[in-house]
Amino acid sequence: MLLLPQALVDGLLIGGIYITIAIGFSLAYGVMHIIDFAVGEWIMLGAFLGLYLSQWTQMEPLLLLPVVFIVFGVLGYLFQPVIYRVLSGKKGNPLLMALVFTFGLAIAFKGLGLTVFGFFSRSIPSAMAANSFTFVKGDFFVTIPVIRLIGLVYAIGVTLVLSWILKRTDFGLAIQALAQNKEAAGLMGISAKKTNSWVYGIYVGISAMSGVLIGCMFSISAQMGSKYTVLSFFVVVLAGMGFLAGVPWAAFLLGMVQSFFLIYFDPGYTLLAVFIILYTVLLISPKGLFGKGV
Amino acid sequence: MTVLQLASVSAGYGDTRVLWDVDLEVEKGRIVALLGANGAGKTTTLKTICGLLPATQGRLYYNGNEITGLPVHEMVNLGLALIPEGRQLFGKMTVEENLIIGSFLKRAKAKRAKNLAWVYELFPALANRKNQSAETLSGGEQQMVAIGRGLMQNPDLIMFDEPSLGLAPLLVQEMFRVIEELHRRGLTIFLVEQNVHQTLRIADFCYVIENGRIVQKGTGKELAANASIREAYLGI
Ligand SMILES: Nc1ncnc2c1ncn2[C@@H]1O[C@H](COP(=O)(O)OP(=O)(O)OP(=O)(O)O)[C@@H](O)[C@H]1O
Ligand SMILES: [Mg+2]
Repeated sequence: MLLLPQALVDGLLIGGIYITIAIGFSLAYGVMHIIDFAVGEWIMLGAFLGLYLSQWTQMEPLLLLPVVFIVFGVLGYLFQPVIYRVLSGKKGNPLLMALVFTFGLAIAFKGLGLTVFGFFSRSIPSAMAANSFTFVKGDFFVTIPVIRLIGLVYAIGVTLVLSWILKRTDFGLAIQALAQNKEAAGLMGISAKKTNSWVYGIYVGISAMSGVLIGCMFSISAQMGSKYTVLSFFVVVLAGMGFLAGVPWAAFLLGMVQSFFLIYFDPGYTLLAVFIILYTVLLISPKGLFGKGV
Repeated sequence: MTVLQLASVSAGYGDTRVLWDVDLEVEKGRIVALLGANGAGKTTTLKTICGLLPATQGRLYYNGNEITGLPVHEMVNLGLALIPEGRQLFGKMTVEENLIIGSFLKRAKAKRAKNLAWVYELFPALANRKNQSAETLSGGEQQMVAIGRGLMQNPDLIMFDEPSLGLAPLLVQEMFRVIEELHRRGLTIFLVEQNVHQTLRIADFCYVIENGRIVQKGTGKELAANASIREAYLGI
């Protein structure tokens, strides 16, 4: 009972991380219908860029987030046409081909990471990592590491900015239009190629930034990618594939499950619990928590 | 002046050829109609004009410039708009968002506020439902949004694919009234319709398509007067 406030807060904080790794992925799926198995690898590559940049510039890694976003945003933008070609193929099953393609991409990135960054785990030294707030009231107490709080604020910030773009700008409306009816979007003068490139760039940029944040909280290694791919996939499936507004709630739900398991049950079974929740929800509502996935 | 010209255009889906050497011209400021039975190739013709479907043979010209092979988003940027068959709205977006996205292109953005006011004036029913999601509208209301969205594109040439399909008689009248109003405002109109009587009445020129080939053409009066055409192609 005394740990309840801590469990709740931890759940929120973990949920924040889940948002950061899943929101870009959900956006990309919603528009391009691509299940990108490389999501975790983009996170890994972003984390290492953050590490090397902060070592090189001696700057606080969190201040480098915009740089990482831009570098990977441009990379994603330039890379997207390759995926688009696979996705818009006429023969066979393009969706399956794209799946296999990103799977191969993930393996290639991991191999690249192992070659260039080595096998060992590292962490990104952030000045924010050492501090934490502690609140005490009677017997209850809550500890919040500053870096975790920053992660949560970042996650909410990214979510708000994305939903603002989607709701309030022409570019956002174009993204929605494209996701809902590709042919009609073309008739409105929306270029699917160009818009997809932007979306993919944004997604890759966000994922890479999230990698840096994760690196400030936990350790990073060239092999970290697949774990985050799986987690990202969990959140997005639970939220409903491509249903962006569901991502924060799904992320917080998984965060809570994980935090309560860590505190009250056996930490070893956390992932199992997450699995069980996911399958139960999908059995009852295959389109995610809100029934709004595609 | 000829706004749109098709010179022996062929097109199809995969290995099935649907259009065979279609020749067609649309003069500026006119209402030109394309009539034909179900499956004759009317929608296919419109899709080919817009670049939604590539022409396998022949050439297309817009205001004298060749546009064969341009992708759809560049095609509409030239000033042509299609109100597609089956409305094709963005169902999860609101009525107003559907209209706004119609003015996505730079050529339409500047006139967004003015055109939006005009669309609401043409279709007052939409003004009351601007924040409702498009998929919750009735069929007739959805058709109004589709037309409104096309008008928001600020086109010079507007193409309709069976705008009166599924509408009550009163709304069909309304739809033809709107088309005539657009014509009065100087828009060029290319109309695909099943409603032969009304269409022959308002069209300056008509083409009849059968099995993917243009088999007859003439003014509305000429076609209506010709008994054999009436019987064979128009069913009136
Ligand atoms: N996506 C498609 N794939 C394959 N064949 C198609 C496709 N769309 C249409 N067709 C075929 O092309 C022919 C012409 O179709 P089209 O839609 O142009 O007819 P239409 O004149 O618009 O008919 P309607 O009055 O019923 O709308 C038909 O025989 C149809 O079966
Ligand atoms: Mg048709």
